[in-house]
Amino acid sequence: MADVLYHPASYKDPSGFVFTSNGKIFRQVNKSYREDYDLLLSSGLYKELSEKKFLVTHQEVSENLTQTNEWYKTLSPEHLPFISYPYEWCFDELKDAALLTLKVMKISMKRGMILKDATPFNVQFLHARPIFIDTLSFEKYEISKPWIAYRQFCECFLFPLLLEHYRQIDTQKLLTVYLEGIPAQTTAKLLPRKSLLNINILLHVFLQNSVAATAAPTNSRRITDFNPNKLLRLIDSLESTIRHLRFKTTVRTTWNNYYEETILSQEYLNKKEHIFREYIKDLQGSKAIDIGCNDGFFSKILAEYIPNVIAVDFDSQCINRLYTETKSLLNKNILPLCVDLTNPSPSVGFNHAERESFRERAKSATAIALGLIHHLVLSKNIPISGVAKMFADLTTDTLIIEFVPLNDEKAQLLIANKTKYHVPYDSTTFELVFEKYFAIEKRATIPGTERILYRMRIKS
Amino acid sequence: MLLIINLLYVDPGSGSYLVQLIIAGFLGVLFYFKSLWWKIKAFFKKGDKNQKPNSDEAN
Repeated sequence: MADVLYHPASYKDPSGFVFTSNGKIFRQVNKSYREDYDLLLSSGLYKELSEKKFLVTHQEVSENLTQTNEWYKTLSPEHLPFISYPYEWCFDELKDAALLTLKVMKISMKRGMILKDATPFNVQFLHARPIFIDTLSFEKYEISKPWIAYRQFCECFLFPLLLEHYRQIDTQKLLTVYLEGIPAQTTAKLLPRKSLLNINILLHVFLQNSVAATAAPTNSRRITDFNPNKLLRLIDSLESTIRHLRFKTTVRTTWNNYYEETILSQEYLNKKEHIFREYIKDLQGSKAIDIGCNDGFFSKILAEYIPNVIAVDFDSQCINRLYTETKSLLNKNILPLCVDLTNPSPSVGFNHAERESFRERAKSATAIALGLIHHLVLSKNIPISGVAKMFADLTTDTLIIEFVPLNDEKAQLLIANKTKYHVPYDSTTFELVFEKYFAIEKRATIPGTERILYRMRIKS
Repeated sequence: MLLIINLLYVDPGSGSYLVQLIIAGFLGVLFYFKSLWWKIKAFFKKGDKNQKPNSDEAN
Protein backbone atom coordinates (compact mmCIF):
# COMPACT_ATOMS: atom_id res chain seq x y z
CA MET A 1 0.00 0.00 0.00
CA ALA A 2 1.29 3.45 -0.93
CA ASP A 3 2.17 5.98 1.76
CA VAL A 4 -1.30 7.53 2.30
CA LEU A 5 -2.00 10.65 4.38
CA TYR A 6 -5.61 11.82 4.84
CA HIS A 7 -6.06 15.60 4.46
CA PRO A 8 -7.10 16.99 7.87
CA ALA A 9 -9.69 19.36 6.31
CA SER A 10 -11.41 16.68 4.24
CA TYR A 11 -13.56 14.90 6.83
CA LYS A 12 -17.02 16.50 6.67
CA ASP A 13 -18.43 15.02 3.48
CA PRO A 14 -18.96 11.23 3.46
CA SER A 15 -18.95 11.33 -0.37
CA GLY A 16 -15.16 11.11 -0.44
CA PHE A 17 -11.98 12.73 0.79
CA VAL A 18 -8.66 14.24 -0.20
CA PHE A 19 -5.42 12.47 0.58
CA THR A 20 -1.80 12.50 -0.43
CA SER A 21 0.03 9.45 -1.64
CA ASN A 22 3.80 9.71 -1.98
CA GLY A 23 3.45 13.50 -1.81
CA LYS A 24 0.88 13.71 -4.64
CA ILE A 25 -2.67 14.95 -4.02
CA PHE A 26 -5.64 12.69 -4.82
CA ARG A 27 -9.37 12.71 -4.17
CA GLN A 28 -11.24 9.51 -3.42
CA VAL A 29 -14.86 9.14 -4.52
CA ASN A 30 -16.75 6.79 -2.21
CA LYS A 31 -19.39 4.30 -3.32
CA SER A 32 -22.06 6.39 -1.58
CA TYR A 33 -21.40 9.20 -4.11
CA ARG A 34 -21.38 6.86 -7.14
CA GLU A 35 -24.68 8.02 -8.69
CA ASP A 36 -23.93 11.71 -8.31
CA TYR A 37 -20.38 11.34 -9.64
CA ASP A 38 -21.61 9.38 -12.67
CA LEU A 39 -24.29 12.04 -13.27
CA LEU A 40 -21.66 14.81 -13.06
CA LEU A 41 -19.87 13.18 -16.00
CA SER A 42 -22.83 11.84 -17.99
CA SER A 43 -24.82 15.12 -17.79
CA GLY A 44 -21.92 16.98 -19.42
CA LEU A 45 -21.65 19.26 -16.37
CA TYR A 46 -18.05 18.36 -15.60
CA LYS A 47 -17.09 18.94 -19.25
CA GLU A 48 -18.83 22.32 -19.44
CA LEU A 49 -17.46 23.60 -16.10
CA SER A 50 -13.91 22.46 -16.75
CA GLU A 51 -13.90 23.83 -20.30
CA LYS A 52 -15.01 27.20 -18.97
CA LYS A 53 -12.24 26.91 -16.32
CA PHE A 54 -14.83 27.13 -13.54
CA LEU A 55 -13.88 23.74 -12.08
CA VAL A 56 -10.48 22.05 -11.67
CA THR A 57 -9.87 19.24 -14.10
CA HIS A 58 -8.95 15.75 -12.96
CA GLN A 59 -7.75 12.43 -14.31
CA GLU A 60 -9.24 9.18 -13.08
CA VAL A 61 -6.73 6.75 -11.59
CA SER A 62 -7.83 3.13 -11.74
CA GLU A 63 -6.15 2.13 -8.48
CA ASN A 64 -7.63 1.96 -4.96
CA LEU A 65 -4.70 3.74 -3.32
CA THR A 66 -6.31 3.87 0.14
CA GLN A 67 -7.36 0.19 0.07
CA THR A 68 -10.71 1.13 1.66
CA ASN A 69 -13.95 -0.78 1.06
CA GLU A 70 -15.85 2.45 0.34
CA TRP A 71 -13.66 3.14 -2.72
CA TYR A 72 -15.36 3.88 -6.02
CA LYS A 73 -12.89 6.11 -7.92
CA THR A 74 -9.57 7.83 -7.38
CA LEU A 75 -9.15 11.24 -8.97
CA SER A 76 -5.89 13.03 -9.61
CA PRO A 77 -6.85 16.74 -9.68
CA GLU A 78 -5.10 19.52 -11.56
CA HIS A 79 -2.17 20.92 -9.55
CA LEU A 80 -2.70 24.28 -7.86
CA PRO A 81 0.50 26.17 -7.05
CA PHE A 82 -0.77 27.72 -3.82
CA ILE A 83 -3.71 27.15 -1.47
CA SER A 84 -5.14 30.38 -0.05
CA TYR A 85 -8.02 30.85 2.37
CA PRO A 86 -10.99 33.27 2.34
CA TYR A 87 -9.58 35.15 5.33
CA GLU A 88 -6.57 36.05 3.17
CA TRP A 89 -8.58 37.31 0.20
CA CYS A 90 -9.35 40.93 -0.50
CA PHE A 91 -12.93 42.12 -1.02
CA ASP A 92 -12.94 41.62 -4.79
CA GLU A 93 -11.46 38.13 -4.51
CA LEU A 94 -14.27 37.12 -2.14
CA LYS A 95 -16.81 38.81 -4.41
CA ASP A 96 -15.50 36.98 -7.51
CA ALA A 97 -15.52 33.68 -5.59
CA ALA A 98 -19.17 34.33 -4.60
CA LEU A 99 -20.19 35.13 -8.19
CA LEU A 100 -18.39 32.02 -9.45
CA THR A 101 -20.28 29.87 -6.93
CA LEU A 102 -23.61 31.27 -8.17
CA LYS A 103 -22.56 30.83 -11.81
CA VAL A 104 -21.60 27.18 -11.13
CA MET A 105 -24.93 26.70 -9.36
CA LYS A 106 -26.92 28.02 -12.34
CA ILE A 107 -25.03 25.90 -14.87
CA SER A 108 -25.47 22.85 -12.62
CA MET A 109 -29.25 23.38 -12.47
CA LYS A 110 -29.46 23.37 -16.27
CA ARG A 111 -27.72 19.98 -16.23
CA GLY A 112 -29.96 18.51 -13.52
CA MET A 113 -27.56 18.98 -10.61
CA ILE A 114 -27.18 21.38 -7.69
CA LEU A 115 -24.46 22.50 -5.27
CA LYS A 116 -24.92 20.78 -1.93
CA ASP A 117 -22.57 23.19 -0.16
CA ALA A 118 -21.41 26.74 -0.80
CA THR A 119 -18.34 27.50 1.24
CA PRO A 120 -15.52 29.74 -0.02
CA PHE A 121 -13.09 26.99 0.99
CA ASN A 122 -14.32 25.22 -2.18
CA VAL A 123 -12.78 27.99 -4.27
CA GLN A 124 -9.14 28.76 -5.06
CA PHE A 125 -7.43 31.30 -7.31
CA LEU A 126 -5.55 30.45 -10.48
CA HIS A 127 -4.30 33.09 -12.94
CA ALA A 128 -6.27 35.86 -11.23
CA ARG A 129 -9.53 33.92 -11.53
CA PRO A 130 -11.48 31.96 -8.97
CA ILE A 131 -11.82 28.25 -9.68
CA PHE A 132 -14.08 25.71 -7.99
CA ILE A 133 -12.07 22.83 -6.51
CA ASP A 134 -14.57 20.48 -4.87
CA THR A 135 -15.60 17.94 -7.49
CA LEU A 136 -17.83 16.18 -4.94
CA SER A 137 -20.01 19.24 -4.19
CA PHE A 138 -22.59 18.37 -6.84
CA GLU A 139 -25.71 16.29 -6.30
CA LYS A 140 -28.86 15.43 -8.24
CA TYR A 141 -31.29 18.33 -8.34
CA GLU A 142 -34.71 17.57 -6.89
CA ILE A 143 -36.78 20.33 -8.45
CA SER A 144 -39.34 20.55 -5.66
CA LYS A 145 -36.71 21.40 -3.03
CA PRO A 146 -35.07 24.72 -2.14
CA TRP A 147 -31.27 25.13 -2.05
CA ILE A 148 -29.74 23.27 0.88
CA ALA A 149 -26.66 25.51 0.82
CA TYR A 150 -28.54 28.85 0.74
CA ARG A 151 -27.87 29.78 4.35
CA GLN A 152 -24.23 28.74 4.10
CA PHE A 153 -23.83 30.89 0.98
CA CYS A 154 -25.30 33.92 2.75
CA GLU A 155 -23.20 33.47 5.88
CA CYS A 156 -19.92 32.77 4.09
CA PHE A 157 -20.17 35.16 1.13
CA LEU A 158 -23.03 37.65 1.19
CA PHE A 159 -22.87 38.79 4.82
CA PRO A 160 -19.09 39.47 5.00
CA LEU A 161 -19.30 41.36 1.69
CA LEU A 162 -22.23 43.44 2.97
CA LEU A 163 -20.38 44.31 6.17
CA GLU A 164 -17.33 45.42 4.21
CA HIS A 165 -19.48 47.43 1.77
CA TYR A 166 -21.57 49.23 4.39
CA ARG A 167 -19.28 49.30 7.41
CA GLN A 168 -15.76 48.85 5.99
CA ILE A 169 -15.17 45.93 8.36
CA ASP A 170 -12.29 43.87 6.91
CA THR A 171 -13.64 40.58 5.57
CA GLN A 172 -10.29 38.96 6.44
CA LYS A 173 -10.63 39.64 10.15
CA LEU A 174 -14.28 38.57 10.22
CA LEU A 175 -13.66 35.31 8.39
CA THR A 176 -10.64 34.39 10.53
CA VAL A 177 -13.01 34.20 13.50
CA TYR A 178 -16.20 33.09 11.74
CA LEU A 179 -14.79 30.15 9.77
CA GLU A 180 -18.27 28.78 9.08
CA GLY A 181 -19.65 32.19 8.11
CA ILE A 182 -21.21 35.14 9.92
CA PRO A 183 -24.69 34.47 11.35
CA ALA A 184 -27.64 36.53 10.05
CA GLN A 185 -28.27 37.78 13.57
CA THR A 186 -24.78 39.32 13.87
CA THR A 187 -24.99 40.79 10.37
CA ALA A 188 -28.41 42.33 11.02
CA LYS A 189 -27.09 44.01 14.17
CA LEU A 190 -24.04 45.46 12.42
CA LEU A 191 -25.62 46.71 9.19
CA PRO A 192 -26.83 50.34 9.07
CA ARG A 193 -30.55 51.14 8.82
CA LYS A 194 -30.13 52.55 5.31
CA SER A 195 -29.33 49.03 4.07
CA LEU A 196 -33.01 48.20 4.77
CA LEU A 197 -33.90 50.31 1.76
CA ASN A 198 -32.43 47.62 -0.47
CA ILE A 199 -35.17 45.00 -0.94
CA ASN A 200 -32.66 42.17 -1.48
CA ILE A 201 -30.84 42.94 1.77
CA LEU A 202 -34.14 43.26 3.55
CA LEU A 203 -35.04 39.75 2.41
CA HIS A 204 -31.71 37.92 2.67
CA VAL A 205 -30.54 39.44 5.95
CA PHE A 206 -33.36 40.91 7.99
CA LEU A 207 -36.15 38.58 6.96
CA GLN A 208 -33.87 35.56 7.24
CA ASN A 209 -32.85 36.69 10.71
CA SER A 210 -36.39 37.20 11.94
CA VAL A 211 -37.70 33.95 10.43
CA ALA A 212 -34.76 31.96 11.83
CA ALA A 213 -35.31 33.47 15.27
CA THR A 214 -39.05 32.79 15.44
CA ALA A 215 -39.75 29.72 13.33
CA ALA A 216 -39.51 26.24 14.71
CA PRO A 217 -37.08 23.95 12.92
CA THR A 218 -38.67 22.86 9.67
CA ASN A 219 -38.86 19.33 8.43
CA SER A 220 -37.28 19.63 4.99
CA ARG A 221 -39.22 16.62 3.69
CA ARG A 222 -42.48 18.50 4.16
CA ILE A 223 -41.43 21.40 1.93
CA THR A 224 -42.29 20.52 -1.60
CA ASP A 225 -43.73 23.82 -2.80
CA PHE A 226 -40.61 24.95 -4.63
CA ASN A 227 -39.62 24.93 -8.29
CA PRO A 228 -36.66 25.85 -10.55
CA ASN A 229 -38.12 29.29 -11.38
CA LYS A 230 -38.30 30.21 -7.69
CA LEU A 231 -34.76 28.97 -7.12
CA LEU A 232 -33.45 30.87 -10.15
CA ARG A 233 -35.08 34.09 -8.89
CA LEU A 234 -33.44 33.52 -5.50
CA ILE A 235 -30.03 33.05 -7.13
CA ASP A 236 -30.53 36.04 -9.46
CA SER A 237 -31.41 38.15 -6.43
CA LEU A 238 -28.21 37.07 -4.62
CA GLU A 239 -26.17 37.67 -7.77
CA SER A 240 -27.56 41.15 -8.38
CA THR A 241 -27.03 42.14 -4.72
CA ILE A 242 -23.40 40.98 -4.79
CA ARG A 243 -22.65 42.58 -8.17
CA HIS A 244 -23.64 45.98 -6.79
CA LEU A 245 -21.37 45.78 -3.74
CA ARG A 246 -18.24 47.93 -3.93
CA PHE A 247 -14.99 48.11 -2.02
CA LYS A 248 -14.58 51.65 -0.74
CA THR A 249 -11.07 52.98 -1.27
CA THR A 250 -11.54 56.42 0.21
CA VAL A 251 -10.20 55.46 3.63
CA ARG A 252 -6.59 56.52 3.96
CA THR A 253 -4.20 53.67 4.75
CA THR A 254 -0.47 53.28 5.31
CA TRP A 255 0.41 52.63 1.68
CA ASN A 256 -2.06 54.88 -0.14
CA ASN A 257 -0.01 56.97 -2.53
CA TYR A 258 3.18 55.78 -0.82
CA TYR A 259 5.31 56.09 -3.91
CA GLU A 260 3.46 59.08 -5.32
CA GLU A 261 4.18 61.10 -2.20
CA THR A 262 7.86 60.21 -1.91
CA ILE A 263 10.09 62.95 -3.28
CA LEU A 264 12.58 60.32 -4.40
CA SER A 265 9.84 58.28 -6.03
CA GLN A 266 10.45 57.81 -9.76
CA GLU A 267 14.22 58.15 -9.81
CA TYR A 268 14.58 55.95 -6.73
CA LEU A 269 12.23 53.34 -8.19
CA ASN A 270 14.08 53.23 -11.53
CA LYS A 271 17.44 52.66 -9.85
CA LYS A 272 16.04 50.06 -7.49
CA GLU A 273 14.34 48.30 -10.40
CA HIS A 274 17.63 48.20 -12.33
CA ILE A 275 19.47 46.45 -9.46
CA PHE A 276 16.47 44.23 -8.73
CA ARG A 277 16.32 42.97 -12.32
CA GLU A 278 20.03 42.11 -12.16
CA TYR A 279 19.40 40.08 -8.99
CA ILE A 280 16.43 38.07 -10.28
CA LYS A 281 17.41 37.24 -13.86
CA ASP A 282 18.91 33.84 -12.94
CA LEU A 283 16.55 32.82 -10.11
CA GLN A 284 15.65 29.18 -9.59
CA GLY A 285 12.31 27.64 -8.59
CA SER A 286 8.71 28.06 -9.64
CA LYS A 287 7.37 29.97 -6.64
CA ALA A 288 8.28 33.34 -5.17
CA ILE A 289 6.77 35.44 -2.45
CA ASP A 290 6.82 39.23 -2.25
CA ILE A 291 6.41 40.20 1.39
CA GLY A 292 5.06 43.69 1.99
CA CYS A 293 4.29 44.04 -1.72
CA ASN A 294 2.58 47.46 -1.43
CA ASP A 295 1.17 48.26 -4.92
CA GLY A 296 2.85 45.17 -6.41
CA PHE A 297 5.36 47.09 -8.56
CA PHE A 298 8.11 44.53 -7.85
CA SER A 299 5.71 41.54 -7.80
CA LYS A 300 4.88 42.35 -11.41
CA ILE A 301 8.58 42.42 -12.36
CA LEU A 302 9.14 39.16 -10.48
CA ALA A 303 6.20 37.62 -12.35
CA GLU A 304 8.09 38.15 -15.61
CA TYR A 305 10.67 35.59 -14.44
CA ILE A 306 8.84 33.26 -12.01
CA PRO A 307 5.68 31.26 -12.89
CA ASN A 308 3.92 31.74 -9.52
CA VAL A 309 4.21 34.88 -7.43
CA ILE A 310 2.39 35.36 -4.13
CA ALA A 311 2.15 39.04 -3.24
CA VAL A 312 1.25 39.75 0.38
CA ASP A 313 0.61 42.90 2.35
CA PHE A 314 -1.41 43.67 5.47
CA ASP A 315 -3.11 46.59 3.70
CA SER A 316 -6.31 45.23 2.14
CA GLN A 317 -6.72 48.35 -0.04
CA CYS A 318 -3.36 47.74 -1.74
CA ILE A 319 -4.16 44.06 -2.24
CA ASN A 320 -7.60 44.83 -3.65
CA ARG A 321 -6.11 47.30 -6.10
CA LEU A 322 -3.40 44.83 -7.13
CA TYR A 323 -5.96 42.04 -7.63
CA THR A 324 -8.21 44.14 -9.86
CA GLU A 325 -5.14 45.28 -11.80
CA THR A 326 -3.79 41.71 -12.14
CA LYS A 327 -7.08 40.62 -13.74
CA SER A 328 -6.41 43.00 -16.62
CA LEU A 329 -2.70 42.17 -16.99
CA LEU A 330 -1.36 39.88 -19.66
CA ASN A 331 0.76 38.16 -17.01
CA LYS A 332 -1.75 36.87 -14.48
CA ASN A 333 0.59 34.71 -12.39
CA ILE A 334 0.36 36.92 -9.29
CA LEU A 335 -1.82 35.94 -6.35
CA PRO A 336 -2.37 38.99 -4.10
CA LEU A 337 -3.25 38.14 -0.49
CA CYS A 338 -3.94 40.13 2.67
CA VAL A 339 -1.48 38.83 5.25
CA ASP A 340 0.08 40.68 8.15
CA LEU A 341 3.53 39.14 8.63
CA THR A 342 3.54 40.21 12.27
CA ASN A 343 0.31 38.26 12.80
CA PRO A 344 0.02 35.78 9.92
CA SER A 345 -2.91 33.37 9.35
CA PRO A 346 -2.77 30.72 12.09
CA SER A 347 -3.51 26.98 11.93
CA VAL A 348 -7.24 26.83 12.57
CA GLY A 349 -10.17 24.46 12.56
CA PHE A 350 -10.61 21.01 14.03
CA ASN A 351 -7.58 19.79 15.96
CA HIS A 352 -5.61 22.89 14.81
CA ALA A 353 -5.04 21.06 11.55
CA GLU A 354 -7.93 21.84 9.21
CA ARG A 355 -6.42 25.00 7.73
CA GLU A 356 -2.65 25.27 7.62
CA SER A 357 -0.88 28.36 8.87
CA PHE A 358 0.44 30.82 6.32
CA ARG A 359 4.04 29.88 7.08
CA GLU A 360 3.38 26.20 6.35
CA ARG A 361 1.98 27.09 2.91
CA ALA A 362 4.12 30.05 1.92
CA LYS A 363 7.60 28.50 1.89
CA SER A 364 9.01 29.53 -1.48
CA ALA A 365 12.25 29.21 -3.42
CA THR A 366 12.51 33.00 -3.48
CA ALA A 367 11.37 35.62 -1.01
CA ILE A 368 11.65 39.37 -1.53
CA ALA A 369 11.19 42.03 1.11
CA LEU A 370 11.70 45.54 -0.18
CA GLY A 371 11.15 48.58 2.02
CA LEU A 372 9.94 46.36 4.84
CA ILE A 373 12.60 45.79 7.47
CA HIS A 374 12.33 49.23 9.08
CA HIS A 375 8.60 48.65 9.62
CA LEU A 376 9.22 45.32 11.34
CA VAL A 377 12.13 46.47 13.50
CA LEU A 378 11.31 50.11 14.20
CA SER A 379 7.48 50.10 14.18
CA LYS A 380 6.71 46.61 15.42
CA ASN A 381 9.76 46.25 17.68
CA ILE A 382 10.73 42.88 16.26
CA PRO A 383 14.48 42.26 16.78
CA ILE A 384 16.56 41.85 13.58
CA SER A 385 17.30 38.27 14.72
CA GLY A 386 13.54 37.52 14.73
CA VAL A 387 13.13 38.96 11.24
CA ALA A 388 16.10 36.91 9.94
CA LYS A 389 14.65 33.70 11.43
CA MET A 390 11.24 34.44 9.86
CA PHE A 391 12.77 34.85 6.38
CA ALA A 392 14.86 31.69 6.86
CA ASP A 393 11.59 29.83 7.57
CA LEU A 394 9.93 31.21 4.43
CA THR A 395 12.78 30.73 1.93
CA THR A 396 14.30 27.60 0.49
CA ASP A 397 16.78 29.30 -1.84
CA THR A 398 17.11 33.06 -2.33
CA LEU A 399 16.21 36.16 -0.32
CA ILE A 400 16.28 39.63 -1.80
CA ILE A 401 15.98 42.18 0.96
CA GLU A 402 16.39 45.93 1.23
CA PHE A 403 17.98 47.44 4.31
CA VAL A 404 16.60 50.88 5.20
CA PRO A 405 19.02 52.71 7.53
CA LEU A 406 18.02 54.78 10.54
CA ASN A 407 18.81 58.11 8.83
CA ASP A 408 16.45 57.35 5.92
CA GLU A 409 13.51 59.73 5.52
CA LYS A 410 10.96 56.91 6.04
CA ALA A 411 12.79 55.36 9.00
CA GLN A 412 12.95 58.78 10.66
CA LEU A 413 9.18 59.11 10.31
CA LEU A 414 8.72 55.81 12.11
CA ILE A 415 10.88 56.72 15.11
CA ALA A 416 9.74 60.35 15.35
CA ASN A 417 7.47 59.60 18.31
CA LYS A 418 9.26 56.53 19.65
CA THR A 419 11.66 56.32 22.52
CA LYS A 420 12.31 52.60 22.51
CA TYR A 421 13.31 50.30 19.68
CA HIS A 422 15.89 47.56 19.29
CA VAL A 423 19.45 48.83 18.83
CA PRO A 424 21.91 48.59 17.25
CA TYR A 425 19.97 49.03 14.01
CA ASP A 426 22.57 49.40 11.28
CA SER A 427 23.76 47.54 8.18
CA THR A 428 26.73 45.91 9.99
CA THR A 429 24.48 44.38 12.64
CA PHE A 430 21.92 43.47 9.96
CA GLU A 431 24.54 41.57 7.92
CA LEU A 432 25.98 39.87 10.99
CA VAL A 433 22.59 38.61 12.11
CA PHE A 434 21.35 37.53 8.66
CA GLU A 435 24.62 35.67 7.97
CA LYS A 436 23.59 33.15 10.64
CA TYR A 437 21.02 31.82 8.15
CA PHE A 438 22.07 33.26 4.78
CA ALA A 439 25.22 33.77 2.70
CA ILE A 440 25.31 37.27 1.21
CA GLU A 441 25.85 36.93 -2.54
CA LYS A 442 25.37 40.50 -3.69
CA ARG A 443 24.96 43.91 -2.12
CA ALA A 444 24.37 47.28 -3.81
CA THR A 445 23.59 50.72 -2.44
CA ILE A 446 20.67 52.31 -4.27
CA PRO A 447 22.16 55.50 -5.79
CA GLY A 448 20.97 58.72 -4.17
CA THR A 449 20.04 56.92 -0.95
CA GLU A 450 21.78 54.92 1.77
CA ARG A 451 19.44 51.99 1.33
CA ILE A 452 21.16 48.70 0.49
CA LEU A 453 19.72 45.91 -1.65
CA TYR A 454 21.00 42.42 -0.79
CA ARG A 455 20.75 39.11 -2.51
CA MET A 456 21.32 36.22 -0.13
CA ARG A 457 21.24 32.44 -0.42
CA ILE A 458 20.03 30.27 2.41
CA LYS A 459 22.68 28.18 4.14
CA SER A 460 21.96 24.46 3.97
CA MET B 1 -32.49 28.53 25.09
CA LEU B 2 -34.91 25.80 24.05
CA LEU B 3 -34.75 27.11 20.49
CA ILE B 4 -30.94 26.99 20.50
CA ILE B 5 -30.99 23.41 21.79
CA ASN B 6 -33.55 22.50 19.10
CA LEU B 7 -31.41 24.08 16.37
CA LEU B 8 -28.34 22.12 17.48
CA TYR B 9 -30.11 18.92 16.58
CA VAL B 10 -31.36 19.81 13.10
CA ASP B 11 -29.54 19.78 9.79
CA PRO B 12 -28.07 23.29 9.31
CA GLY B 13 -29.53 23.46 5.80
CA SER B 14 -33.12 22.64 6.66
CA GLY B 15 -33.62 25.76 8.79
CA SER B 16 -33.26 27.89 5.68
CA TYR B 17 -35.98 26.09 3.70
CA LEU B 18 -38.83 28.11 5.17
CA VAL B 19 -36.86 31.35 4.67
CA GLN B 20 -36.34 30.49 1.02
CA LEU B 21 -40.03 29.80 0.54
CA ILE B 22 -40.93 33.22 1.91
CA ILE B 23 -38.17 35.05 0.03
CA ALA B 24 -39.06 33.27 -3.21
CA GLY B 25 -42.68 34.34 -2.64
CA PHE B 26 -41.67 38.00 -2.27
CA LEU B 27 -39.38 37.81 -5.29
CA GLY B 28 -42.19 36.22 -7.30
CA VAL B 29 -44.51 39.14 -6.54
CA LEU B 30 -41.74 41.61 -7.39
CA PHE B 31 -41.04 39.76 -10.62
CA TYR B 32 -44.73 39.89 -11.54
CA PHE B 33 -44.89 43.66 -11.11
CA LYS B 34 -41.57 44.17 -12.91
CA SER B 35 -42.80 42.09 -15.87
CA LEU B 36 -46.01 44.11 -15.92
CA TRP B 37 -43.97 47.35 -15.92
CA TRP B 38 -41.77 46.08 -18.79
CA LYS B 39 -44.89 45.17 -20.77
CA ILE B 40 -46.37 48.64 -20.24
CA LYS B 41 -43.08 50.25 -21.25
CA ALA B 42 -42.78 48.00 -24.29
CA PHE B 43 -46.35 48.85 -25.29
CA PHE B 44 -45.65 52.59 -25.28
CA LYS B 45 -42.25 52.16 -26.97
CA LYS B 46 -43.93 50.15 -29.68
CA GLY B 47 -46.36 53.00 -30.04
CA ASP B 48 -43.44 55.43 -30.40
CA LYS B 49 -41.87 53.30 -33.14
CA ASN B 50 -45.13 53.30 -35.08
CA GLN B 51 -45.28 57.03 -34.81
CA LYS B 52 -41.69 57.64 -35.94
CA PRO B 53 -42.10 56.73 -39.63
CA ASN B 54 -45.11 59.00 -39.70
CA SER B 55 -43.12 61.88 -38.36
CA ASP B 56 -40.32 61.13 -40.88
CA GLU B 57 -42.88 61.18 -43.65
CA ALA B 58 -44.16 64.48 -42.38
CA ASN B 59 -40.64 65.90 -42.74
